[in-house]
Amino acid sequence: MEALKNEVETLLREGTISAFLGMKLIKGQSIPFLFTHPDDLEQLTIGEARYPLAKIILKVAHKYPDHHLGIMVRGCDEKALIELYRNKQLDRCKLVPMGVACSGELAEKCNCSKPYPSQFIVGEAREISFDRAILEKIESLPLDERFGYWINQLGKCIKCYGCRNICPVCFCEVCTLEDAPLIPLGKIPPEVPAFHLSRAFHMAGRCIDCGLCEEGCPVDIPLRTLYRKVREIVQELFDYLPGEDKEVVAPLQILGDGSFEITEGNP
Amino acid sequence: MNYTTIPTTCAYCGCGCEILFEVLDGELVGTIPSKANPINHGSLCIKGWTAHEFVVSEKRLKSPLIRKNGEFKEATWDEALNLVSSTLKEIKETSGPDSLACLSSAKCTNEENYLMQKVMRAVVGTNNVDHCARL
Amino acid sequence: MLEESSFEPKIIAFCCNWCSYAGADLAGGMRLKYSSTIRPIRVMCSGRISPHFIIKAFQEGADGVLVTGCHIGDCHYMKGNYITAKRVAILRELFNFIGISPERLRLEWVAASEGDKFARVADEFTEKIKTLGPSSIKNISFNK
Repeated sequence: MEALKNEVETLLREGTISAFLGMKLIKGQSIPFLFTHPDDLEQLTIGEARYPLAKIILKVAHKYPDHHLGIMVRGCDEKALIELYRNKQLDRCKLVPMGVACSGELAEKCNCSKPYPSQFIVGEAREISFDRAILEKIESLPLDERFGYWINQLGKCIKCYGCRNICPVCFCEVCTLEDAPLIPLGKIPPEVPAFHLSRAFHMAGRCIDCGLCEEGCPVDIPLRTLYRKVREIVQELFDYLPGEDKEVVAPLQILGDGSFEITEGNP
Repeated sequence: MNYTTIPTTCAYCGCGCEILFEVLDGELVGTIPSKANPINHGSLCIKGWTAHEFVVSEKRLKSPLIRKNGEFKEATWDEALNLVSSTLKEIKETSGPDSLACLSSAKCTNEENYLMQKVMRAVVGTNNVDHCARL
Repeated sequence: MLEESSFEPKIIAFCCNWCSYAGADLAGGMRLKYSSTIRPIRVMCSGRISPHFIIKAFQEGADGVLVTGCHIGDCHYMKGNYITAKRVAILRELFNFIGISPERLRLEWVAASEGDKFARVADEFTEKIKTLGPSSIKNISFNK
């Protein structure tokens, strides 16, 4: 923790960054805060609660595109930032990430495949084995039982838009889920499964498996399971995994070169 | 350049979910659910997620409006309050206090709602007090 | 027996203006008989077909969706059909995971001269949907 405070203080004093987006400890709670002055750093903390800092920095960076900003990044935040760079929502040169590796409890709770960013100054790298059990259980069900399972789960939805609002890679100003011909406005509960399938398709090539959607769902729909499957589909078909720091475009970002064809099951 | 989040309680219903209002340069720009609270555990309903919108909405009235000749015209507070009190008095005299009711709002403060029900009970003399969240 | 033949599937066929719609038109011109379950929707290019159109079609009660376009390399807009293939591939796998048979969504490249192919595909697809039965999305009670 001291290492983080010292590093941020140095960067602020030197003027390398205009401000640092991190967590502030106030009345026993850690909340996102933009530290602009070294004196504020007394209350800098890491905290155990995860907030989508990558999403918050979007607001600040769009208003102040010429400033350099520091940001605390966990493993998931780093993946989110990479996807936002890829979609040209953030300028890589203007951000200074400060890596923090997640604690053992948090990593277990999040079932995270990589609970540490590529460079970090706090914490230690841990490997958590990826738990594919729920996916396997669903895949083992016959088709109509699978359908019944999903309709029961998705039918709980109260259309709070929490999954979309909290998602760090959802940056669109005009959202498909608010497009009246597709998703009738004001109709609660939403049409099942159109609402969720639309969102799931949007996650193809974007979802970084941070799990904030499932954490934020008030009715505990297994969203992360659904989007994990979408990630696997995209990886299998296009050999692409969002969040990897490679100079490639996402498969659905471009039309392509025509080399991809559907081969099986389409006589 | 200044961004902070302010923990507060959502005003909309009796649940009292904890939310964090996002304030960028003194302007209210968004709402995030608080993850530290045992009431909502980091979730919100659609009203909670948009709890910041009514505060900064363009649709908010900037002055009282009185309907004249079928159209709403801007009026002063004195004009509006005089019209309301004289009409309520008239109705109370002709049809009795229970012919009046009030519908208050979740977007008002607790103090404003207290005053509202006090006016209805003590001044008008009726128990017909209701609130938008009950609908 | 009676119940089987009474199921008339509703199949939405998205056709691109330049190739597959012309192909469907040619099938008509050649007086070929094909299944009347097909309801064509003309779009300018198969790349215009957002995956959300397909999802909406199923939500509104389609039993099957046929996506047709120009052959690879022949797209009137050069590359429109490249992305159609990617989208349909992802959707089929996603439907499979949700419990909707991926065979209800079919992608076929039909050229303007392939009237007979259009008719053949329409008939084959209709038979397939008949064996699969009505789409279970229609019966979801929450949506009513």
